[in-house]
Amino acid sequence: MSVETATGTAATSAPATAHRTAQRERRLWVQILLIALVILFCIFPFYWMVTTSLKTQIVALQSPPAWIFDATTANYTEVLFADGVGYTLMNSLIVAVCTTILAVGLGCPAAYALARFEFRGKKDLWFWFITNRMVSPVVLALPFFLIVRMLGLLDTHIVLILIYLTFNLPIVIWICTDQFRSIPRDLDEAALLEGASQWRIFRSVCLPLAMPGVAVSSIFSFIFSWNELMFALVLTRTYAKTAPAMAVSFMEGYNLPYGKIMATSTLIVIPVIIFALIASKQLVRGLTMGAVK
Amino acid sequence: MKLRTTVSALALTAAMAFGSNAAQAWSLEEAAKPYEGTTIDVVFLLRPGYEAAEEMLKDFTERTGINVNLIKHPYENALGEQVRDFISGGDLDVALVDLVWIGNFAENGWMVPIEEFTSNPDLADPDLDLEDFFPVTLDAFGTWDGTVYGLPFDNYSGLMYYNKCMLEDAGFDGPPETWEALKDEYGPALTKDGKYAYALQSKRNETQSADSFARMLWPFGGSFLDAEFRSNLNSEESQTGLKFRQDLMQYMPQGIVAYDHAETVNALAQGDVAIITEWSGFASSLKDPNTSAVADCIEVAAEPSGPAGRKPALGGFSLAVASQADDDEKAAAWLMIQYLTSKANAEKYLDLGGVSARQSVYEDESVRDKFFFADALVESWQEGVPEFRPRFAEWPEITEIVQEWGTKMMLGEVTTEEGAEEIGTRMEAVLDDAGYYDGEKPLAQ
Amino acid sequence: MSQSVKSPSMPGRVSRATLFGFLGPAVITLALIGIVPLAFAVWTSMRDYNLTKLARQKFIGFENYVTVLNDGAFWDAMGRTFTLLAIALPMQLIFGLGIALLLHKPGLGFFKTIARLSLVVPMATTYAVVGLLGQVMFNLKYGVVNQLLGFLGLGPFDWLGDPNLAFVTVIFWDVWQWTPFCALVLLAGLTTVPPEIEEAARLETKSWLTILRHVQLPFLVPGLTALLILRTADTLKLFDMVFTMTRGGPGAATEFIALLIQRVGFRAFDQGLASAQAVILLIITIVLSRLYISFFYREVHS
Repeated sequence: MSVETATGTAATSAPATAHRTAQRERRLWVQILLIALVILFCIFPFYWMVTTSLKTQIVALQSPPAWIFDATTANYTEVLFADGVGYTLMNSLIVAVCTTILAVGLGCPAAYALARFEFRGKKDLWFWFITNRMVSPVVLALPFFLIVRMLGLLDTHIVLILIYLTFNLPIVIWICTDQFRSIPRDLDEAALLEGASQWRIFRSVCLPLAMPGVAVSSIFSFIFSWNELMFALVLTRTYAKTAPAMAVSFMEGYNLPYGKIMATSTLIVIPVIIFALIASKQLVRGLTMGAVK
Repeated sequence: MKLRTTVSALALTAAMAFGSNAAQAWSLEEAAKPYEGTTIDVVFLLRPGYEAAEEMLKDFTERTGINVNLIKHPYENALGEQVRDFISGGDLDVALVDLVWIGNFAENGWMVPIEEFTSNPDLADPDLDLEDFFPVTLDAFGTWDGTVYGLPFDNYSGLMYYNKCMLEDAGFDGPPETWEALKDEYGPALTKDGKYAYALQSKRNETQSADSFARMLWPFGGSFLDAEFRSNLNSEESQTGLKFRQDLMQYMPQGIVAYDHAETVNALAQGDVAIITEWSGFASSLKDPNTSAVADCIEVAAEPSGPAGRKPALGGFSLAVASQADDDEKAAAWLMIQYLTSKANAEKYLDLGGVSARQSVYEDESVRDKFFFADALVESWQEGVPEFRPRFAEWPEITEIVQEWGTKMMLGEVTTEEGAEEIGTRMEAVLDDAGYYDGEKPLAQ
Repeated sequence: MSQSVKSPSMPGRVSRATLFGFLGPAVITLALIGIVPLAFAVWTSMRDYNLTKLARQKFIGFENYVTVLNDGAFWDAMGRTFTLLAIALPMQLIFGLGIALLLHKPGLGFFKTIARLSLVVPMATTYAVVGLLGQVMFNLKYGVVNQLLGFLGLGPFDWLGDPNLAFVTVIFWDVWQWTPFCALVLLAGLTTVPPEIEEAARLETKSWLTILRHVQLPFLVPGLTALLILRTADTLKLFDMVFTMTRGGPGAATEFIALLIQRVGFRAFDQGLASAQAVILLIITIVLSRLYISFFYREVHS
């Protein structure tokens, strides 16, 4: 609508510029429309999950689905207080935070070495790290189960924390190697001439500059561990049971309590979203994946 | 037998009399004394019968000092969880045995025969009375190759639930007696205006093989295997049953292959479908106005019969003591199993939402009145087939094959003959591998 | 990358101790956690190893591998997996690139921040939850998708009950979940284009396509390669979402390779065969990644 008015007012003065302004404005509206579509596309399933979690079973299974209904928080009270979803969320948090810290702690120095040092077999080593990310968890679940059982560590946090390293360490190394590469070398060469040790250069010069990469890889580590299902199903039972394993356990074909499932799902998703939103500024800066600035 | 009404009164005296014969009166408290403080681990499902049991276990723990650690899993994960635990010598002290797992568990030696406990007067409740279980439940859920391992705990029979109001509107004063009547009379009359006569849960998991495939095989005289353990799926009878299923689909809602129990029960509860055949356990939720929009109209009967008889779907779980438990845990586990499945607790179990397999409890008029499904259930268990699904160790592999090709058949991707051929070939390969054809293994199912 | 730096001080050369100090912990950890189970899987893949029949397990050499290579179901599942990859990945990359270009343009700051934030939501949603959500939203009767399409006069569609539509539903969710990730990576790539080069190019041509091809694309190559590798590996691993939504059905319409392996290994308990399938899958993944890297990463890493 405003496109038309813009054309109208501009046409009286200078046709050429007016035309261009109109075009620009039309483009702007197209842009706004597209962005709105993107937002809608991303958010709508999430919106539907939250609203379903506020429905009773009869309303959730109503046909056609209800958009306006009497919201109930009964599903939340039930999953949190009767089914112990809160406890499993705590487990997920412990596991995700610990594995992220470990992955970053082990991965950053390795990434720095891959980015800065020259040694034989470097490329193969890098590739081997990445390969670990590609192993399907279906392959490793049973061997892990048998080994972990032998060590008497079944249903403990530490097992999940360590196992999640197999797919988090590669991602940290990958992203951070690329970040370190993008830091100009003259900086550390200068420091080297001043007699700083490699460790000092890494810690005081390069690491601060690579923060976006560290942040992004932390977010991904966190998300991947928080969301992991297969290992959690096989390796935990009650004590260390994580939230996704809990959500799936409501999925007894015998009876599908959609409200409860969606309430649990919402509780699982919200912390990750918050965490990711906080760090989202870094997200773009850290994901350059080796493009050299 | 005629003294039904006085049975409960007599039971007490009888127990006393037995007790005095065996030195002292047996009591749970006495029997459990040596095992006070023992903790036993058991896998439970998220179904009504287990919630009922969980409630009862509070009383058990209070009286015995035996703690029970429940590990809850949905059905689809329960087998994997237990198998992994048993092969690695884990902590489970009780095996939760679906009737189709029993051959597997027994062959691997993961369960202790109950004889070890029933022969021990310190542990065996004199009122145990194995004969009181419906024979088909004890045979199918608890017995393998002549040995009893488990006691029937969470018991199901397929029942026919129907919407009386819809049937009356269409001019029927009762549910169909036979599968043919369902297809030829009820089907066309009830399928209209977006409503359907019947829904058969057929999702690709155990539902497809147990609820859909096998349900159509048996009433028509078909079966999975013949006497030599070769595939019987291309026999005339089996094919009649499978073709019947295809024909019946025209009176089922669209997308029936995506229906699991939840969708099917919901279709009846929302008034979209007139008739379903589902497990006995759904009775209470279908009659509950909070979960069912047509609760007042829901009635129940035994499943329709086919040319070969009624042969309703049979399913259920027994509890058995796990071999890997130590002696104290074994004794404690036995006491728990005995307690949960006892005659004395059967009515309590029913009240809390479980379905007991004790014949005596249904002899009580008041119980039959209170639980509207009781008559149909008792009738069904007279005619159940224990090998409704073969119970041997190879079932987990075979059910996967049936699930895949059974749904493909329903979708029309293969004909019933082609599908039966595919299942047959693969099934025989599994059985051959297991050694049934070279005489290594007895032909038990 | 640094072969060109040949100064006498050789900044890249460090002592073994330093090298070990930096790399040792990560290598040792990953080797301990990663290699032992993998070796175990390779070992079981050479054995008749059924969990419910451990009494008769024995070494059978490559028999499981032969079985897998001749198994129609395995190749069908492989075919489905690559079909999914071939359809979903280009969509993710094209939509992702579109979104990245859209958000990269100057102006509309606040609105774009919201958009960037909302991109995080799909990525952060637990995969298993996505499948559960799929069951709710794509249900034939009470699903909101059919309701919305109904407003447009379409449907209702039997999304989860029809083999082809079930496949489409899986594609939809995969695209929903991973397009934002592609968009973010590509957006990050776009920010590495030096502004002065971009501006100069804009003065010369108005065609955004020309700018994209000749100016921006070179900076996007590393990100694109990374996406190719990650998405290929993840599609080959795809399990949670499909498992909670269709369990591989109806029929075998959505039985992707990871679901097949899970079915063989954890439901039929034939761990020997499942391990052989998994090892073959791993080999395929590695070969593909090698190919991607040698094709696209060359400029950056040599």
